[in-house]
Amino acid sequence: MVILFAIGLYVVLTKQNLVKKIIGLNIMETAVFGLIVTSGMVTGGSPPLLGQGLEPPYASPIAHALVLTGIVVALSVTALALVLIIRVKAECGSIELDELLEPDE
Amino acid sequence: MNGLVHLLPLTVLLPITAGALAPALFHRRGTACWIWALAAALLSLAAGIGLWRELYSGATISYPLGGWPPPYGIELVFDGVAALIPVLGALAVLILVASRRYVEATVPASRQSLFYALILINLGGMNGFVAAADLFNLFVWMEVFSISAYALVALARGPVAALAALKYLLVGAVSSLLVLLAVALLHAQTGSLNMGDVAGLLAAAEAPGASALALGCLVVGFLVKAAIFPLHFWLPDAHASAPSPVSALLSGLVVKMGIVGLVRTRMLFAEADVVPLLMPDTLLLWLGVIAILAGAVLAMVQRELKLMLAYSTVANMGYIALGLGLAAPAAVSGALAHTVYHATIKTGLFLTAGAVLLGTGLSRVDDLRGLGQRMPLTSGALVLGLLAATGIPPTAGFVGKWQIAIGALQAGRPWVIGVILAGALLTLGWAIRVINSLFFRPPARARVITAREAPASLLVPALLLALLAVSGGLFGAVLLGLVEPLALEFVGGGHGH
Amino acid sequence: MVIELFDLRPLIAPLLSALCAFGIMLLGSHAGWRIALSLVASVVKFFIVVSMLPGALDGHVYVFSAGEILPGLDFAFRVDALGLFFGLVSSTLWVLTTIYAIAYMRGSHSLRRFFGFFALCVSTTQAIAFAENLLTLFIFYELLTICTYPLVIHSGTLEARRAGRRYLIYTLSGGAAILAGMVLVYQATGSLSFSSPGLLNPGIDERVLLAMFVLLIGGFGVKAALMPLHAWLPTAMVAPTPVSALLHAVAVVKAGSFGLMRVIYNIFGVDLLDTLGYHHVLAVIAALTIIAASLVALRQDVLKRRLAWSTISQLSYIVLAACLLTPLAALAAVIHIANQAFAKITLFFVAGAIEKTTGKKRISELDGIGWAMPWTMAAFTVASLSFMGVPLLAGFITKWYLSLGALAAGAPIYVGVMMASAILNASYWLPILYRAWFKPGASPDAPVKEAENLLLWPTLGCAAYVILLGIGAQAPAMPFALAQSAVAFAFGLEVASP
Repeated sequence: MVILFAIGLYVVLTKQNLVKKIIGLNIMETAVFGLIVTSGMVTGGSPPLLGQGLEPPYASPIAHALVLTGIVVALSVTALALVLIIRVKAECGSIELDELLEPDE
Repeated sequence: MNGLVHLLPLTVLLPITAGALAPALFHRRGTACWIWALAAALLSLAAGIGLWRELYSGATISYPLGGWPPPYGIELVFDGVAALIPVLGALAVLILVASRRYVEATVPASRQSLFYALILINLGGMNGFVAAADLFNLFVWMEVFSISAYALVALARGPVAALAALKYLLVGAVSSLLVLLAVALLHAQTGSLNMGDVAGLLAAAEAPGASALALGCLVVGFLVKAAIFPLHFWLPDAHASAPSPVSALLSGLVVKMGIVGLVRTRMLFAEADVVPLLMPDTLLLWLGVIAILAGAVLAMVQRELKLMLAYSTVANMGYIALGLGLAAPAAVSGALAHTVYHATIKTGLFLTAGAVLLGTGLSRVDDLRGLGQRMPLTSGALVLGLLAATGIPPTAGFVGKWQIAIGALQAGRPWVIGVILAGALLTLGWAIRVINSLFFRPPARARVITAREAPASLLVPALLLALLAVSGGLFGAVLLGLVEPLALEFVGGGHGH
Repeated sequence: MVIELFDLRPLIAPLLSALCAFGIMLLGSHAGWRIALSLVASVVKFFIVVSMLPGALDGHVYVFSAGEILPGLDFAFRVDALGLFFGLVSSTLWVLTTIYAIAYMRGSHSLRRFFGFFALCVSTTQAIAFAENLLTLFIFYELLTICTYPLVIHSGTLEARRAGRRYLIYTLSGGAAILAGMVLVYQATGSLSFSSPGLLNPGIDERVLLAMFVLLIGGFGVKAALMPLHAWLPTAMVAPTPVSALLHAVAVVKAGSFGLMRVIYNIFGVDLLDTLGYHHVLAVIAALTIIAASLVALRQDVLKRRLAWSTISQLSYIVLAACLLTPLAALAAVIHIANQAFAKITLFFVAGAIEKTTGKKRISELDGIGWAMPWTMAAFTVASLSFMGVPLLAGFITKWYLSLGALAAGAPIYVGVMMASAILNASYWLPILYRAWFKPGASPDAPVKEAENLLLWPTLGCAAYVILLGIGAQAPAMPFALAQSAVAFAFGLEVASP
């Protein structure tokens, strides 16, 4: 998980292409979600669902709730970021950061 | 008492619901949407004030949602930290009042309702964040106000705004992720999410390394949100392109959430004595010192008014970090008081800058020469706000600096006083330049000569805040008295040092 | 026995001028309103301040407190003998300066701003005089800096702006030093009040005491033009004459000296300082300033500049006298507040009158002006003779008490300093007098063109004060007994009944 996180961070920091940065962000987010889910695991535990014939011990439902929320948040952020990238592309014609930061106007 | 507790979730849910409904209800009807937003914010403010009176006559209010008692259920709390809600509400109301003309002039009609909606959602998110009593909600509300902030920055025209918003987004998302990670770690350690619960359970946690990591992630994450140097770099770009009411919101309110986060973090780890708090304290202290000096110097080399104000925010957040890092009762109460005061001062300054921009279309200080004659009230408000920012007594800026100076002596670090004073003098450097330009130079640009005074809806909030900023120092004892219990809680918990 | 009385007058006096300033900002585009407001406010204020005089002579102290503004620190006014003395000097001179300014500034630009900030300066100076504690004093001290700034750069020229910037840098840095000192004092004692003849106690760490002394004295020393912190003053001469008169006789510089006296007498206290011995160093610095500034004054040709350097020299008389830590010297310090103020303002008024009437600014141009403007130059003569220490004039009283005090302190060298200063003063005042009276003017048959009345009467009024203060050491509203009262409090002596 840590490696995944590090990869994601590296991508965000170094890649010039804006879309790639967002991908890096998503990689980081996935790493964190994975960590959360695994932290909620109970050995030999069953999915935390009531009334499905499943016996305790249940895997922690709170971890799952956290991850679900996190996924929703990540989704919104990514969506917003992509919209912004589209706008940048439309108004500047490029999505590479070094091209965008060139002293023009 | 009992009926009033329901006001607490109201302060959170009302703005959010109102904001969510706004674009649907008021498509293309900017003014009506504005009234709707104003009403929602006022109601939220009223609720906050009601809660305030309860707090200061009784004890902390705890509100378990749905009746599920903590630590199982989601709990909202109205304690010393959440007392910030009415302040946020009041400033948000003023920002909304001032933003109407601005929005009419700069935002396309189809997007206006979106603007107001986002401000309301932002307010609701901030209210939720300060009132959250469990880590999960803390994270959720943090994201709510963060994402709405990214969107607000992007709402301005031009590609620069989009890029600035993207930068803010990336930085903010990474920091949010760190917070999420920390929440997960803490949950793994203690099995609970309720902050009061976690604080107690941390001592029994098995892996102090994980707790330390969690502390580190929380601190770094909130440092970014609070724009503490060197994690501040998203702020100037965001300010340069955002519409002035949004800048007011960002610098005045949203960055304060980072501070709230730091305070909550400290309170979380204070009891446990598991992780020595010396590290984050020292970090805050030194980052604060650097921020004060770097922010003031960077402000001095700016040519644009809004950028000067942005770097001034960086410097002032440095003061607050410094105060928190000193961890002496006077320093912390000074830092907390300064949080409130600076919110007032900076909101006022940005609204005034917005008025100037609206009236003249100019934002470089050199271009604004002689504006004092054409727009005397606006320029006057700007001058008053700048004096408050430098911390001349009896303005609001003075109180925090004084208290932190006393706290520096209490903490046995007298050299900090020199830093505080140096920061104040450096701030005067660029503040005097602006004041000179406004009042003591003849006008040079045509748009200044033809400028007329700002419209009332912009002017009144700006003047009101400027007057509050200038006279705030006279109420220093009152505010410090209000903040003191929180300060003592902040300091007294950590017996690690 | 000090009896503290609760009274609104310490609040009203500064507040009145502040309200006047507010009124001028609103209504002042019309000259009539400006003049009326300024005059009425200054006169009414004078009477309010004077009304506190009988009580003060009886040993009453008027107190007004608005409550805490920082934990443990009140926003409060306390009119004791020293404060009332300074307050009287400033309110008396204000009436006179207002009349003068109305005439002098006629036709200038931005008059609303000028008179508005003028009134604010009055207000803040009064508040400084009446402050109960160092925090209240500091608040108004900094506000004074801010309010004098627009006056200094009034003309708007590049030179004015540069002078203004230098002024701000010096005074605000001084303010920062005072703040640092204040924090140290507060932390050590929990208070900043002036109500006792010595707040600090010997139990405090000596390094901290030294730091406090250096910071506070250095901070106040900027405005009090102690060398080497004086450099803002000569360049600030670019301001219009009423402002120079203001800065150099009443408001800014006296606020600095007053602050120094408060630090010496009320924060440190005579006994503590005596034990610590810091006063020796300060006395030497003051003495050096007296001499050095006079030497520079000799070389100035522009009249206002010579007056500026003379001011720097004269202010250090107050500091020197305060440092000698004997009752007689302290008496000299207090009365020199008044003596120097009236005499120096007279000189500035004359300089301004000459400039306004004839356009001349340089001493080398002043040949024969005594015959062209006899009354004006008569006032100048009186005031300059006073500075030379001629008996029967105010300056002599100061020198007399200072010398006595120096002898009592066992430091006869300062008597020598007094004499040297008198000689130097003579060297730079006498040539002016000689030129004015004994050298033929450009056209000996030129008609006598005296300064206009509104410029002349305040000048003569101040000169009259110089004479009165010299003859009986008393003048209307400026009783000697008040100064004695102030000194007695500082030294813990009993006040002799008048």
